Amino acid sequence: MPREVEVSVNERAFIQQALQENVRLDGRAFDAFRPLELTFGDEYGVADVQLGKTRVIARISVDVTAPLPERKFDGIFQIVAEFSPMASPAFEVGRPTDAEVILSRILEKAIRRSNALDTESLCIIAGLKCFALRADVHIIDHDGGLIDASCIAVMAALQHFRRPDVVVEGEKATILSVREREPIPLSILHQPLCVTFSCYEDGERILIDANLAEEQVRQEEVIVTMNRHGEVCQVAKYGGATVEPLALLNCINMASQKVKEISKFIQTKLEEDAKKRDAGGLMAELSAENER
Amino acid sequence: MGPEVVLSHLHRADGSATYTHNGYCVIGSVNGPIEVLRKDEQPEEATVEVNVRPAAGVGSPKERHLETLLHNTLRSIILTRSIPRTLVQITLQIRSLPEEDSVLGVNTSLTLLPHLLNTSLLALLSASIPLSTILTSVLIAIPSSKNAIPLLSPTAKDLLRAKPLRSLHVFAFSGDRKLLLNESYGSFGYEEWDDACEMAEEVCCKEGGVELSEGMEVEGQQGNLEEWLRQVVKRKVEREQRWRTAD
Repeated sequence: MPREVEVSVNERAFIQQALQENVRLDGRAFDAFRPLELTFGDEYGVADVQLGKTRVIARISVDVTAPLPERKFDGIFQIVAEFSPMASPAFEVGRPTDAEVILSRILEKAIRRSNALDTESLCIIAGLKCFALRADVHIIDHDGGLIDASCIAVMAALQHFRRPDVVVEGEKATILSVREREPIPLSILHQPLCVTFSCYEDGERILIDANLAEEQVRQEEVIVTMNRHGEVCQVAKYGGATVEPLALLNCINMASQKVKEISKFIQTKLEEDAKKRDAGGLMAELSAENER
Repeated sequence: MGPEVVLSHLHRADGSATYTHNGYCVIGSVNGPIEVLRKDEQPEEATVEVNVRPAAGVGSPKERHLETLLHNTLRSIILTRSIPRTLVQITLQIRSLPEEDSVLGVNTSLTLLPHLLNTSLLALLSASIPLSTILTSVLIAIPSSKNAIPLLSPTAKDLLRAKPLRSLHVFAFSGDRKLLLNESYGSFGYEEWDDACEMAEEVCCKEGGVELSEGMEVEGQQGNLEEWLRQVVKRKVEREQRWRTAD
């Protein structure tokens, strides 16, 4: 398997010098995301995110299984992010690279452990049956910013997904198909989103949403996960250089603002999609969702 | 309606194609010729690697089986001897399946196979890998009712409606009308198979050969697959050569 092409010494020097002169290669501001695009598939729970040249598809699927014996009242939720040679020939099937491990860990921390999804609502019969939700993250094209893009994709897909309704009679549970009853949305408690900061010159310069070339030149990265209410879900820092506490606070402030923008963007896209699906205006009548 | 194709849309892979047909959507990418692992290196020919990735979940024996079929078929059309000691890496990501796919109750690897074959050929073309010939593939289903007309590249809905099915056949033909691959499932006699094969040849290959008889016309029939492929390639070449014509 060929190794990932590293940036040459000249390119590296060029990027660094440009940053010293406060210029990014693609002319963006230091705190600007690349153009973000989000499309939903025909089915529920498929989100296709394009962040510049990076492209990630998240797909949610559901299954019925027995819950874990130590967590009888919870459903199962699992996020699987596997790289394929499609994104880069350096990714090998069955042999995770560091980036892949970090991506899965961050998604796990950001979405699953922050309790973004109410797993208790996935329980059908305590100790016997529950929904097992699975989020598959497919990296289609890789130009940096995988963590941000994957997090957006998974959160958008979760909000777009509808699970089939169930009827429970004693110990018997019947899953109602789409034809029988309108599927219901998941109960999502909050929407965490990741913002990755890349630090250069010992934290002197901090970039948002670095592309692949910038990622290879950076000294370290700080990943901040927040929701739109301004709550920090996790902060991770990979790389050797030190970051001043004040710079970190600054990052969190910036992240808070970016997350609000992206949340709003996802919301508008979801509404557009809902409008498209709600052709006859019958959705409200069909809905089996309980009012909170 | 013929399949829809987007070519060379991924910027990291050497060649890529997204293929959408009958509710199936497959993204294919090809990297090659690239450096090959020492253990896979062959002194006189290129190594071909095929990865099929399901829409949801990790690869199962079904995907491994499809990979083997694709590998053997594609290796016979790639001019592996002209690029020895290299690797041609083909990745096929299934993006979406029709809703009815899981409830069909038939061998779902067969319904998927022609789409995977067509996608991989398009991706190979997009990556400009040397090929000896092209490849077109089609699915044919024979319902079990008497005198039923064989269904030509049926949608998942058609299959559901035509249940129970007696047999499913996948045929792949090369540009010179040679049968490259045949996978069949179910019970059938030689004559039925021959009919199906003829029908597939008619759709896959261009001109010559026997005409379709009246009764075999299928509603909403797609055009000839080779002609469709020519159109796709023509558009690709036109796009690549536009710098010449523009002034």
